[in-house]
Amino acid sequence: MKRYLLAALVLLATLPSALAAGEGAPKPFERGSWQKLLHAHAGHPTLVHFWGVTCGPCKVELPQLGRFMKDHPDIDVVTISADLVPNLPEATRSMLDQAGLASAENWIFGDGFAERLRFEIDPAWQGDIPRTMLIARDGTITTIEGSAEIADLNKWSEAQAATIR
Amino acid sequence: MTSRKSSAWIVLATVMLGALPNIAGAQMSHQHASEAACEETVLRCATKVTPAFAPDGTLWLAWMAGGEISVASSKDQGKSFSAPVQVTRERLNLDWGPDARPKLAIDAKGGIALAFSTFRDQAFNGQVLTSRSTDGGRSFDLPKPITTNNESQRFEAIGFDPAGAVFAVWLDKRNRVPAQQRGQKYDGAGLFFATSKDGGATYSDAQLVADNTCECCRLALAFDGAGHPVVVFRNIFEGGVRDHAIVTFNDLATPGDVHRVSRDDWQIAACPHHGPSLTISSAGTYHVTWYTNGKARKGLFYARSRDGGKTFSDPLPVGQPNRSPSRPQIVAGPQGLAMAWKEFDGQKTSIHLMTSHDDGATWSKPTDIADTADSSDHPLLVSDSRQTYLSWMTKADGYHFQAIEGEP
Repeated sequence: MKRYLLAALVLLATLPSALAAGEGAPKPFERGSWQKLLHAHAGHPTLVHFWGVTCGPCKVELPQLGRFMKDHPDIDVVTISADLVPNLPEATRSMLDQAGLASAENWIFGDGFAERLRFEIDPAWQGDIPRTMLIARDGTITTIEGSAEIADLNKWSEAQAATIR
Repeated sequence: MTSRKSSAWIVLATVMLGALPNIAGAQMSHQHASEAACEETVLRCATKVTPAFAPDGTLWLAWMAGGEISVASSKDQGKSFSAPVQVTRERLNLDWGPDARPKLAIDAKGGIALAFSTFRDQAFNGQVLTSRSTDGGRSFDLPKPITTNNESQRFEAIGFDPAGAVFAVWLDKRNRVPAQQRGQKYDGAGLFFATSKDGGATYSDAQLVADNTCECCRLALAFDGAGHPVVVFRNIFEGGVRDHAIVTFNDLATPGDVHRVSRDDWQIAACPHHGPSLTISSAGTYHVTWYTNGKARKGLFYARSRDGGKTFSDPLPVGQPNRSPSRPQIVAGPQGLAMAWKEFDGQKTSIHLMTSHDDGATWSKPTDIADTADSSDHPLLVSDSRQTYLSWMTKADGYHFQAIEGEP
């Protein structure tokens, strides 16, 4: 009896953290996350995509981004779910999986004060999604409001590849 | 130890294992991720609070908290409130979009019509539900769908016309399916309307105003001097340009022509989540405020129309462009026009106010009337027969209801 109890307690202690660190679970995007993200990708061409589960145009664009990531292993692909809702992580994760983005660096807004999160990213951004930021090797940021044209993304990634030659 | 006991322990452990991550998640969302201060149904926990004055001067609030819609009233301009009455009978997946909120309207006899949206499925398709109270808000009918159609509906607006009919307007995706079956692309959603002659118990069949309007922004509804509904909405103009449009109804069943409020040229395939505001002054002037990020202009703007919405004045910029001005609201009160909006300085959100005493020809300098350092609802303006008030729900500081000072 005691042995079972101990085993259950050990399981209880370890499982929640194991679940939280599960493969593909979006990380909470909080105050300061944006600067950390920029720092972590400095020097690498990076595509940051803002989206949300209720956004119609996002549903169309997400699988296209999944294919883009597969075709461009040299570009760091980051997604940030910028919607707010308590029960969102499951829906977010499932849509990312279906779009082929489970292995991307995925974040989800984790602070109800969305105005402050958006202000840290771009003070002019009022929350419209989808939105894509292309961060070049030299740190230059190009912002695409609304759905991105995959042809434009291809052109940008080719230009990035050219800068290392 | 018997095998029965051991399996009981395993069951218990499994239940606890299943429950624990959720507990952790709930606590986390309670503190940071949620826009709500708490998870109960009380006003303090609300994320969206909508005010409305009854013709007898009673202030009514409808709010969204703990997954339910509740209502309370105040006889002393918001200083104290009656015990809340729940409109919903169970916790629902209420539409939490930035521009969604419960709506209520009160007629001359004290009847209350109410409407709100839920997400009906895992794909976030919406459903508009309506309810009413015929006993002065002591009880509400069981909420029921405004239409029998099952395609996604969101962003309802309701109001009583002077004859006592409820007019309801909302965004509805029902026409997308037949268009796609014909092999045609269908952008956005249809603007639909219905009316109720029994105080909101039953609504007429839904009718279309216009197809291909922006699917993710609130609508603005007001009644003109003749009692005809006027609706401002973010339209999708040719080339995917999401600028604002306006329609004045000829009568409750007949929408008039759609006119353009402004040529901002915001071409975007995205959800701005940022709808307009409309008020009609006693002079019959239409006053509109809105947000755009167009090629022609970016930010918050105000314009007025003195010909029933056919043409509008040049857009007037509102707010400080480097302070992310957002969520504009305008109301024509007994002492003139008032306009409120949010600004954000990197740390706190503040509510700014401008007033006009010449029907929108000139405006006062903006003043900062409230602020908060965490998430907040849109600032809303509401008037009784004497003055205009700011209604603003904040996570950190609770609910504010304050008279707008400084008017002559």
